[in-house]
Amino acid sequence: MAEPVVTSSPGNAGKASNAGKDSNAGVPGKPVLAAGIRQFTFHDGQTPALQDVTVSFAPGSFTAILGASGSGKSTLGRLLAGWLPPGGHGLLAGFLELSGTRLEFDGGPGDPRIDAAQWGRHVGFVPQDPGSVLSTVRATVAEELAFGLENAGTERADMQVAVERTAGLLGLRNQLDQDPARLSGGQLRRLAIGCTIIAGPPVLVMDEPFASLDTAGADDLATLVRDLLKRGTAVVILSQMVDPLLLDADTWVVLSGGTVTACGPPAGMGAGHAEGSNGAGMLPRAIRRPAERNAAAPPKPPPGPQAGPAALQLRGVSFAYPAPQTHGERRRKRWVKAVRTGDSTPGTPVLQDVHLTVQSGEIVAVTGPNGAGKSTLLRHFNGLLKPTAGTVLVSGNDISGAPVGRTAAAVGLLFQQPRDQLFERTVLREVSFGLDRLVGPDMAAERAVAALQAVGLAKAAHGHPAELPASAQRLLALATVLARRPAVLALDEPTVALDGDGLALLDAAVGSAAAEGAAVVLVTHDLGYARTVAHRILTLDGGRLATA
Amino acid sequence: MSSPSLTLPSQERPAARRRLLEILGALAIAATYVYLVLNQPADITGGPGSASALIALTGFLAGAVLLIVAVLPTLPASTLVLIPVALVLNIVLGQFVGSTLVPFYLDAIGTVLIAVLAGPAAGAATGALSSIVWSFFNPTVLPFAAGAALIGCLAGLAARYGLFRRFYLAPVAGFATGIIAGVVSAPVAAFVFGGTSGVATGAIVSAFRAMGDTLLAAITKQALISDPMDKAIVFTIVAILVYALPRRARQQFPFIRRHRVLAGTTPAADARAQGPAQDPVQGPAEGPAQDSTRKG
Amino acid sequence: MTASSAGRTAAPARRERLNPLTSLTAAAATAVITTAAGSWPLSLAVVAACLGLSVAGGTARRVLPAGAAVLVPLGLSLLWLHGLFFPEGRTVLAAWGPARITQEGLEFAGQRILQLAAVVLVLLLFSFSVRVPDLVAALSARGVQGRFAFVLASTLTLLPAIAARAQRIRQAQESRGLVVSGSLVSRARAFRLQAVPLVLSLIEDAGTRAAALEARGLSNTGPRTSYREVADSGLQRAARTVLVLAALAAVVLRVAQAGAGG
Repeated sequence: MAEPVVTSSPGNAGKASNAGKDSNAGVPGKPVLAAGIRQFTFHDGQTPALQDVTVSFAPGSFTAILGASGSGKSTLGRLLAGWLPPGGHGLLAGFLELSGTRLEFDGGPGDPRIDAAQWGRHVGFVPQDPGSVLSTVRATVAEELAFGLENAGTERADMQVAVERTAGLLGLRNQLDQDPARLSGGQLRRLAIGCTIIAGPPVLVMDEPFASLDTAGADDLATLVRDLLKRGTAVVILSQMVDPLLLDADTWVVLSGGTVTACGPPAGMGAGHAEGSNGAGMLPRAIRRPAERNAAAPPKPPPGPQAGPAALQLRGVSFAYPAPQTHGERRRKRWVKAVRTGDSTPGTPVLQDVHLTVQSGEIVAVTGPNGAGKSTLLRHFNGLLKPTAGTVLVSGNDISGAPVGRTAAAVGLLFQQPRDQLFERTVLREVSFGLDRLVGPDMAAERAVAALQAVGLAKAAHGHPAELPASAQRLLALATVLARRPAVLALDEPTVALDGDGLALLDAAVGSAAAEGAAVVLVTHDLGYARTVAHRILTLDGGRLATA
Repeated sequence: MSSPSLTLPSQERPAARRRLLEILGALAIAATYVYLVLNQPADITGGPGSASALIALTGFLAGAVLLIVAVLPTLPASTLVLIPVALVLNIVLGQFVGSTLVPFYLDAIGTVLIAVLAGPAAGAATGALSSIVWSFFNPTVLPFAAGAALIGCLAGLAARYGLFRRFYLAPVAGFATGIIAGVVSAPVAAFVFGGTSGVATGAIVSAFRAMGDTLLAAITKQALISDPMDKAIVFTIVAILVYALPRRARQQFPFIRRHRVLAGTTPAADARAQGPAQDPVQGPAEGPAQDSTRKG
Repeated sequence: MTASSAGRTAAPARRERLNPLTSLTAAAATAVITTAAGSWPLSLAVVAACLGLSVAGGTARRVLPAGAAVLVPLGLSLLWLHGLFFPEGRTVLAAWGPARITQEGLEFAGQRILQLAAVVLVLLLFSFSVRVPDLVAALSARGVQGRFAFVLASTLTLLPAIAARAQRIRQAQESRGLVVSGSLVSRARAFRLQAVPLVLSLIEDAGTRAAALEARGLSNTGPRTSYREVADSGLQRAARTVLVLAALAAVVLRVAQAGAGG
């Protein structure tokens, strides 16, 4: 592995300009990519999104840029990768240096304009949502991989070689003829990485690559990163969580409020004694440390036996998506496929004879690998999906006849994608939506404010929901559910996209909801998290629910 | 080492050839319309397969294709990628509304949205492309490509000259656009189809025919009833959508920044209730100042 | 079901030989010539040929509903319009007040319907039998049309994806207690609530996709290559030229005839 990169500290950002001058090509440790950002401001923003950030990356080096949600990680990553060309979305004062070419920006009209295609050959970027990088115009994984090469005019034979090689590296050999839209989440992320690395860029930047990957997916990704490092690619991972792989990084750069607050090798930053300690080090609390959560927290005592009907009861629930139509034509198949949640291959049963009883005040975690049908299970709680056999009872009432909007008064469901659930133009209106019909206007205002306080968003009450950082969006979606004080609280992967602060708020909110008598069911692939919060842990595998 | 340059040339100007194609396209559409209107009385009894149908089809289609050829290569990737999204909105809403008994179409929401976000040229190309791609499922919309392009272009001009800055002006602009678009599209309906494709619109046409109007006159009158209302609704919906977008999403479009298409920097003007401009000083003062320097 | 599976086995062999541009040219030329000729026997022949080909190619199950969805309302509208209200008509078959059924009106409507049916069916036959990726590859290999191919293919891919996303948004909002009743106000309100997040997320996604595709060279002006191989031959190229010339000739002839005649 290459030498650790020397990354300058925030103090000397102004004179970091020696990076390009005094080193020549071929000298080991010479950075392939470097940036000195005095300031970057979006066109709409009053305050800079980034300030005094100086980073550099040597060939074959491994850097983790850690920061909470909203700390400016993604902005930095996109700037480095040429995805936010200065002048287009915002104004940059500072420099970018790539493969020996140095571009100076001062935010004026004479600034150089980055050629994104040429830049992309040197720096690959994989955003948080891997689905959004797909071209949407290629019918198979192989063609999708080749898209960039086609545009560069690569000969067909060379393309075939490159596609084979990349697919091998990614473990996608068996998927080459599949429709990209039908890949699983982990495969999709590997395809997105493949699309960027097929042209062999010397730098690869990945934004939150571990979010929503299960253990198997994360292991695959770690192997891939090590392969790339061996080949001399500089790998940069942006993350709000210290994933085990990041402990191997040469350098950690900690971002907070758009500026670098610490940087250096992980050992010097509290990474060495992560197990057991509460991670004092130099990492802000907002950066998650999954390792420390696993060991801590003894299992909670379950609440005592309850009188009356259980808050939620599933009796012999089975479910299968309707059998696919057998038209031979692909466009038709896509239509059919698209209206599914993608949790299962068509036709096979997703849930088989599931029995579940949750008392009020009880917290139940359901775990299982990606694609096991966990989200499908949750969608039965409020009638979004109707079981093919069996019944769902909420507080003793069969919900099969009621419209979802009515059942929602008793069952609060938090989805994985917060943005699907948010639609109002201010945070406060978002939380207040529908409350006055439920509890009357006076009570509604009080509850809305209380719910916002519970998730730490009271100050943002008049902001636009879509402009919040990802973690805050999740919390806002949670607040909209909490404000209704439902008898059953069902959370789909609540930890995804939350930073450390957000996680603490989630824990507190779930705990107090349960203490007030809500039955909580949360679905997560993060067993460590499940252990810390739940009274009971169940696994969903092969359509059956079992005690873990 | 630094193989091809990492930067683009500092100035790009639209090639004269593209400008010429745009003008040719517009001319083709205008000339076709004028010819059809002048020659229509002799033609309606000429029966189907008439020369007029052919001229309407070729003239309007050629105009639309010329516009696409002129505009499409000049669009930045951010606009190009939005066009398919706009087409889906057009097609889904258009198919849905067309199947109901409402005498509206609502098949231009995507086109107008692009026009407001990215300008008249992009709007015109989107309109024309919308008809062509939609004809993949429904070939009868193909001849209306020129009319759809015109709607996109006019919507973009309305945005360019600030008609979306005041919320109440958007439906007015839509109404005017509808009048022009309706009049231009009427000959297509008359000569190519001999009527309209919708049941509700067909009933209106037959009412005018019953009063003894020529087919073109009846269809033009029907268009003057349906189209302005339809476009007023469409422009209003688009205004609501655009003002509901968060600032950063709006400001990423250079057209919006450069021409200050939208009022204020208030993150959300629920335009119906409170009117758009709450904070007229801060945002606009910043936007144009930066842009005028960059336009150079 | 048997028809479609039979079609699947039979079709690839033929498709492999036929370049999508050839079938596109054939369909467009047929549509133009039928319109130019304006003779009902030809229209009828084209309609029959389309029906025969779609049955033989196994696409009838999709061509026919799509064709009917377009042609039935159009046909009813034309029959109503011209059958009852055709002031130019002389031969009156029946009359109620302002409505007069005239022979000329019925003939006019009938011929229009037949002619439109021919055009619609031939174009639908093309769009339901062509393999879109092949068409995109064939177009992309030819310069300017690359961007058009992108728009076409991306629209076809996004249609189901956006429909699915709209459904997800509706589910998420119902889970928050949104109840859509039958009233127009309630529907309009629900439309606004669902359209805002849908459009917003689509615009944000498009921004990311634009950056990703830009980095992958979407805007490259230089030569491009194609990973997918699309069959083509000298014969097909010649056939395309002939078809285009034939269509042009038909148009010119018809217009010249009209000019000479009146």
